[in-house]
Amino acid sequence: MNFLRRFFSRPTALLGFVVFAAIVVIALAAPLIFARGPFVIVGMPLLPPGAPSLPAGSDVLGRNMMVGLAYGARVSLLVGICATLCAAGMGVLLGSVAGYYGGVVDDLLMRVTEFFQIIPAFVLLMVLVAFLQPSLESAVIGIALISWPQVARVVRGEFLSLRSREFVEAARTLGMRDAAIIFTQILPNALPPIVVISSMMVGNAILAESALSFLGLGDPNLLSWGSMIEGARSAMWVAWWTTVLPGLSIMITVLALNLIGDGLNDALNPRRGR
Amino acid sequence: MPLLSLQNLTIALPPHADRPLAAEDVSLEVGRNQIVCIVGESGSGKSLTAHAIMGLLPRGVTAAGGKIVFDGVDLLKQSADAMRKRRGRDIAMIFQDPMAALNPVVAIGKQVTEQIRAHRAISQTEALNQAGELLGQMGLKNVGELLKAYPHQLSGGQRQRVMIAMALSLSPKLLIADEPTTALDVTTQAQILKLIKRIQAERDMSVLFITHDFGVVADMADSVAVMRYGKIVESGTTKEVLGSPAHDYTRALLAAVPKGEKYLPPSADTKALVQVSGLTKRFRRGGLFSRASVVTAVDQVSLTLCRGETLGVVGESGSGKSTLARCVIRLLDPDAGEVLLDGADIAHMKPGELRPLRRRIQMVFQDPFSSLNPRQTVGDIVTAGPRILGEDAGQARARATETLQLVGLKPECMDRFPHEFSGGQRQRIGLARALMLKPDVLIADEPVSALDVTVQAQVLKLLDDVRRQMNLAMLFITHDMRVAAEVCHRVMVMRHGKVVEEGPTRDIFARPSSDYTKALLAAIPGRQSL
Repeated sequence: MNFLRRFFSRPTALLGFVVFAAIVVIALAAPLIFARGPFVIVGMPLLPPGAPSLPAGSDVLGRNMMVGLAYGARVSLLVGICATLCAAGMGVLLGSVAGYYGGVVDDLLMRVTEFFQIIPAFVLLMVLVAFLQPSLESAVIGIALISWPQVARVVRGEFLSLRSREFVEAARTLGMRDAAIIFTQILPNALPPIVVISSMMVGNAILAESALSFLGLGDPNLLSWGSMIEGARSAMWVAWWTTVLPGLSIMITVLALNLIGDGLNDALNPRRGR
Repeated sequence: MPLLSLQNLTIALPPHADRPLAAEDVSLEVGRNQIVCIVGESGSGKSLTAHAIMGLLPRGVTAAGGKIVFDGVDLLKQSADAMRKRRGRDIAMIFQDPMAALNPVVAIGKQVTEQIRAHRAISQTEALNQAGELLGQMGLKNVGELLKAYPHQLSGGQRQRVMIAMALSLSPKLLIADEPTTALDVTTQAQILKLIKRIQAERDMSVLFITHDFGVVADMADSVAVMRYGKIVESGTTKEVLGSPAHDYTRALLAAVPKGEKYLPPSADTKALVQVSGLTKRFRRGGLFSRASVVTAVDQVSLTLCRGETLGVVGESGSGKSTLARCVIRLLDPDAGEVLLDGADIAHMKPGELRPLRRRIQMVFQDPFSSLNPRQTVGDIVTAGPRILGEDAGQARARATETLQLVGLKPECMDRFPHEFSGGQRQRIGLARALMLKPDVLIADEPVSALDVTVQAQVLKLLDDVRRQMNLAMLFITHDMRVAAEVCHRVMVMRHGKVVEEGPTRDIFARPSSDYTKALLAAIPGRQSL
């Protein structure tokens, strides 16, 4: 397909894709390789990386850092992807309704959107998660709630410009229902920007989840990259690997997602003639 | 020695373009004090030839051979800096879209003086005086205010006059006009053409005029060159070429110019299928923080439409003709009045009641590029209507094949996407989509205004054939009197949302009763000579 060729012809996009795919594979394979889970104590605390059984060293409690990083990827990706799907779904729904109908509906929905946009996002997220009890679900819900307005804005803009196109008018004269026009006529044409910002949002969601875990608002039953950094704070100056390695994991994942987002943007949006 | 002569000019396009050369072996002379027209359809290379003379070819496009001799100097051998100095001073150019050519955030006075002062060492006050004088010569009024105004505050005609003033500010020897009136209303076009002719004579200047319209050629040119696929197929004095065209293509182009020689008589059927009365549509602008203003786009319009007849709605931009069409088909909700379809008022029906009736009124749109969903195959586009009404997919596809054949397309088109088709083919697809629902009324909103003249003639003929075959009532919206004369039984002239005049086409053209209609008819380019 033309689109895939355009995407993979960019070295940065290809790199982002390969890195992200590797992280996904590690996350999926973690329970198969490390069946005993990330919380098992395997040796002395704060062993530096390099030993054959502990390639990434051990943490303050003597747990295998390598296992923690692999399991952390599961949490980060799960939260990132679920939160983005929820946010994108909500944003697309509200944005398309606002953009398609315009007028009073648009005014109302945009005021709601602005309400979420004017509150400092992370503060809102902390309050939400604390209120809902820290857990994987509450992190997903919270992150989705602070991310959807961005999608809604973009989708609304696309709909505003697409709804007056003649092919949309033609669909109306054929007697097509509004819902069918929105989903079969306009949405496919509005997809490129939605795909691009969604890929970027996964990265942001992973960052938000890490920050939550770092503040102790993560799911206490799961080990994530953020909570690994939080737990190792006290050892930061004596055992660099306990904080740097999970931090690096976050950075690499988010970077890979941003590269993918840039690549998608270039592949979907160039002026491809008519 | 002619002022400008192109000698075997060849212009190469970038490697991935649809053909290797934009212009091939083009030879052409523009004598002193002469107007020469290059006429051709889109893609003929006429515009790139003009840009090559200015040294303004787009990136990737290069003059690959030949000479452009201007006043004894080969412009292709000039340095970029020397060309920059010549532009404006020796050769000036005006464009199709003055809004795009003017800087929207700079006042008119500043833009005109900028050009003058770039070439001449004079003070701003002096330059402003010159600019004011120039604008006055262009027939513009209230020059003092105009100099302070911004482009968006001017009408299309005023903007083009400003562009011409800017082009003339340094008294160039050659003015290149690239479709300067294509975006303008017909009455404005007539004024601008007259203006260009007047200044050409006053200033002993030469004009190279690029156009697609033989009417314009007939009115303007001393000599003419016909271009096709980058080659000049025929050239000569206007009289020779228009009077006795030698090349088949010239003959085809001339034959395709709608002339309105045979008027269709009013139809025998007088039982109204669609009856519109007192239709009014207002648009409100502004709101919460700005003063709201109300524009009445359609004002108390009434019309009747019978089976088998075409009613032309003619008017210039802003006359409300498109709004009227969109109210009749209920893409817009009218504020007052009724639209009776077989006696049922569809103007104020609820969406649920209206939906089953939608099938009966269908529309063909103006823009072949935005009227088809780029993400759907032609098959999906054409069968969407019947599928909504619950028709079985296989049957809808079978009927789509027939309908595509009816509009002159091959059944293989079904699985291709709209971007693979030309403008004329897309209009055919749009028509097929409408016909699939077996409508009673077809509304055509400027269906040929975006098409080349030969394609235009084909699509007009197709619309008329379809109207006859299916006994359709057709509401035909157009800005072009010539097109209306070709296909309409009756014509309704609109201005500022109101009906100025209505009657059988022959009567409107032979004995127009209102001054406005007379002005519209008088403004048709090439009316005397074609």
